[in-house]
Amino acid sequence: MTERVRVVVTLIAVALALACLPLVGLPAFYESFLYLVFHWIALATSWSILSGYAGYFSFGHGAFFGAGVYTTTTLAAAYDVPFLVTLPVAALVAALLSAGIGAVVFRVKRLRGELFGLLTLAITFVLATIVLNTRLDGGPGVYLSNVPLPRLVGSPTGTFYLLALALATGTLITAYLVTRARLGLGLYAIHDDEDVAEVEGVPTFAYKLIAFAISAGVAGIAGGIYAMYVSYVTVGDTFSVTVPLYVVLMSVLGGARHWLGPAVGAALITASLYTFTSGQQAILGRAIVAFVLVLVILLLPAGVVATVLGWRRRRADVSAASATGGAEARGGSSGDWRTRGREAASQSEFGAADPPRASAPPVALQCEDVWRAFGGIQALRGVSLRVEPGEIVGLVGPNGSGKTTLINVISGHYTLDRGRITLGGDDLAARPAHEIAGLGISRTYQIPRPFAQLTALDNVAVAATFGAARCALGEARDEAWHWLEFTGLARRASALPHELNLHERKFLELARALAGRPRVILLDEVLSGLTPAEIASAITLVREIRARGVAILFVEHLMRAVLELSDRVVVLNEGEVIAEGAPREAMRAPRVIDVYLGKTQAHVVA
Amino acid sequence: MMRAALALVVLLAFAAAAAAAPSGQPIRIGGTLALTGPLAPTALLHKIAGEIYVEELNKANGLLGRPVEWVLLDDQSKPELARSLYEKLITVDKVDLIIGPYATSGILAAMGVAQRYNKVYVHHSFGMPHLAKYEMHFPTAAFGPEPNKTVPTTVFDAVAATSKPPKSVAIVTSKFPSAQFQSNGAKEVAEKRGLKVPLYLEYEFGTRDWGAIAARVKDANADLLWIGALGLDGNQLLEAMKKLDYTPPRHFHLFPAPGPLVAAPDGKNALSVTVFEEHPPFMNNPGAAKFVPIFKERAAKANVPYTAIETQVGGSFAAWQVLEAGVTATKSLDDKAIGAWLRKNRVDTIIGKLRFDGPNNYGDDLFKVKQVQDGKWVVVWPREFTAPGARLQPQ
Repeated sequence: MTERVRVVVTLIAVALALACLPLVGLPAFYESFLYLVFHWIALATSWSILSGYAGYFSFGHGAFFGAGVYTTTTLAAAYDVPFLVTLPVAALVAALLSAGIGAVVFRVKRLRGELFGLLTLAITFVLATIVLNTRLDGGPGVYLSNVPLPRLVGSPTGTFYLLALALATGTLITAYLVTRARLGLGLYAIHDDEDVAEVEGVPTFAYKLIAFAISAGVAGIAGGIYAMYVSYVTVGDTFSVTVPLYVVLMSVLGGARHWLGPAVGAALITASLYTFTSGQQAILGRAIVAFVLVLVILLLPAGVVATVLGWRRRRADVSAASATGGAEARGGSSGDWRTRGREAASQSEFGAADPPRASAPPVALQCEDVWRAFGGIQALRGVSLRVEPGEIVGLVGPNGSGKTTLINVISGHYTLDRGRITLGGDDLAARPAHEIAGLGISRTYQIPRPFAQLTALDNVAVAATFGAARCALGEARDEAWHWLEFTGLARRASALPHELNLHERKFLELARALAGRPRVILLDEVLSGLTPAEIASAITLVREIRARGVAILFVEHLMRAVLELSDRVVVLNEGEVIAEGAPREAMRAPRVIDVYLGKTQAHVVA
Repeated sequence: MMRAALALVVLLAFAAAAAAAPSGQPIRIGGTLALTGPLAPTALLHKIAGEIYVEELNKANGLLGRPVEWVLLDDQSKPELARSLYEKLITVDKVDLIIGPYATSGILAAMGVAQRYNKVYVHHSFGMPHLAKYEMHFPTAAFGPEPNKTVPTTVFDAVAATSKPPKSVAIVTSKFPSAQFQSNGAKEVAEKRGLKVPLYLEYEFGTRDWGAIAARVKDANADLLWIGALGLDGNQLLEAMKKLDYTPPRHFHLFPAPGPLVAAPDGKNALSVTVFEEHPPFMNNPGAAKFVPIFKERAAKANVPYTAIETQVGGSFAAWQVLEAGVTATKSLDDKAIGAWLRKNRVDTIIGKLRFDGPNNYGDDLFKVKQVQDGKWVVVWPREFTAPGARLQPQ
């Protein structure tokens, strides 16, 4: 039984066991209390699918919850639609609403972070205003006591309990499967650096849209059930800040990046709210709960679940270290560590190991008359160049000459204004960055931009999954492992990027670029900041990559490396190609010397 | 002789005290209030009223000779929590009786629970009578089954009885459900009475920008302004109108925060409705003379800004009186017996005589018109309830 099946079966088994609770004959209050626990588990978990995993912090969950409330209310009260039939419609309405919003908002880069949060909050107010000023409510609220509630068990409270239990279980299974699927890996990458994720091949727009729709759909169903539970809905209660505030609090407390975190947070907070309902200590109780929450969030910023798992992992590391004669948990014995790393890879979050796959047939990269401007500054002026399979082309030029801009344009990070870029027969100009990555173009960044909260192994696995290699999830980690070994980083596989030194981070960039099995690699100053010994090993590595038939466009300031590595050199200045040819000839061209050293020196050298 | 007489008095006093002291297992009455959350400031008034009532009850003979314990829980201003906590009170705490929470949403959410367990459900602050279908709910928000008709009628009757009866009324109202419900009714009633309604405007609950609304009111220039106000809405609208150099000839406020309107200069002659004010004849109602000074003292200690008793506190106190009357009359804690008795009998309370035999268990509309005069609220209509010497201004 795979881990995935085991977890899903366990969740279903627990849910089935809990479903028997109404048969035990406990007082109805417990069903009522657990209804609220499951209600909040579903809401908080669904919120985290977009906001926790992808980092799009939404304050608009109340809008989708409210959309569900009023869909069920309107259909059941005004059109006599059976209550249970209204629930999938509530999910659909909420999901379509979110997809509509996402289709616009996710296209605008600046609407990330706090602006996204504010926008979603505004959407809640807009929706509340619409509901308040139309026949959906109109102001007086809507009464649902006349809507028949199907009896799943003896009591109405038992029915609500079972509905919420089913919803919470479904949401948890969905969340778990999302984190174990390409979608989850992609969302985590988006969370850490969306632009890099897109360039690594993650279809960021589609993934965010899917996550948003799932998240809102669940909130819609929760809203539909809630409407019947309270039986009288008003705009004020429905669209209050309670839902967005609580789901954020619960997710942050439990840990928004882990599929189980929000559920733990929801259970803790709901239980704590009940603990202090006594009329005599109500205010003091709320103050204590708030204080404890602040403390927990301050002391456990990653959330309860991540912290507990971290403790367990560290304890396991210590035990393993003692079992192997006291070797250090990390790097103490490379053989042991690699073995454990391999095991970790095969039991990874994202699947089991398989042998690396073969690259696609080599092709040439061709840029023809490429133009790109930023406002009034013309960064590229008709650049044309070609990189053949197995060729290393050095791209040099003074600072501001357009080298990195060209790499950004080729990789799809920037669109070009004019011209044509092709890879083999494929035109790249109109394609989004993730498609360009899928066709076989990888890049590194001058200043490394790893996904900060993914391990080195998972950083590389993202590229293996979404790049040209298109590894199935089962293969991605083994592929990633292969490239970590190739770049000498296998010992650091489970390290987080901030634990790596500059040399290691640069090589992580390389491993990530290679894991996509690209046909063209764009290396942006991969040697800068390295020691001479590190440079020597990097040069060896680049040669090995070339030997695999990969075309390499190599931006570098370090002339020794350029001359040593490049088959040809293209020199840029102020966005124009000013020289091209064999390295030493090109660098001796008077215009190049003029640019680098000034006119007098050009004359002297000539 | 003197000494013997004194001893006899002391003995009798002790005997009387012993006879009055309740004994046995306490009768537990469960309920929730919004002790935290947005409704907490008003719910605090209900808490103080209930505590005083239970204390006084226990100082006397309790209920059926047994002490009374109020099991009060905090529903945190959330209707879903109110519902769930009433389930706790009934199925886990197994209280003998229940009493309603504060505010319409919570009352309605808990009404379903009361109905499922056949509990008598006395409540004090429910604003939508047509939604309450449970046969054993007993409201003490005493505005009758159709407050959207009767309350405006009372108000229009009051101003019609002056020397300058209004010919037009401008209506602006919050979209808060109960306010909108009654204000909408006011429009219909006004039109039926032949009053012109040059303006009917609804604003969202929580509105803070009153400039545009004030301009519309000024343009309408009606003889009477009806504000379906909650809290400070009325104060803020009056202030905005003042900036436009406009003061409405008469202005009525539906659910204002009573204190700020009394305190503000703009609030002079403001009209509103009430079921209780601290003057005759209300002070002659059962329990009033004893309750009013204690409440004022406790409210002041709890830093309540406006300690005078009016609709909220009056309704709250009356709810306890209704429950006590039901239990005492039937000599039982049986909900069905209490419910049946309450449906057939009137209960004389601090806010007047309540009956529950009308549509949806509502009885008479006991609301009267009050006005800010000389820095305090006084009832000015109907005439038999007016404060000594008070008349609706301007005449």
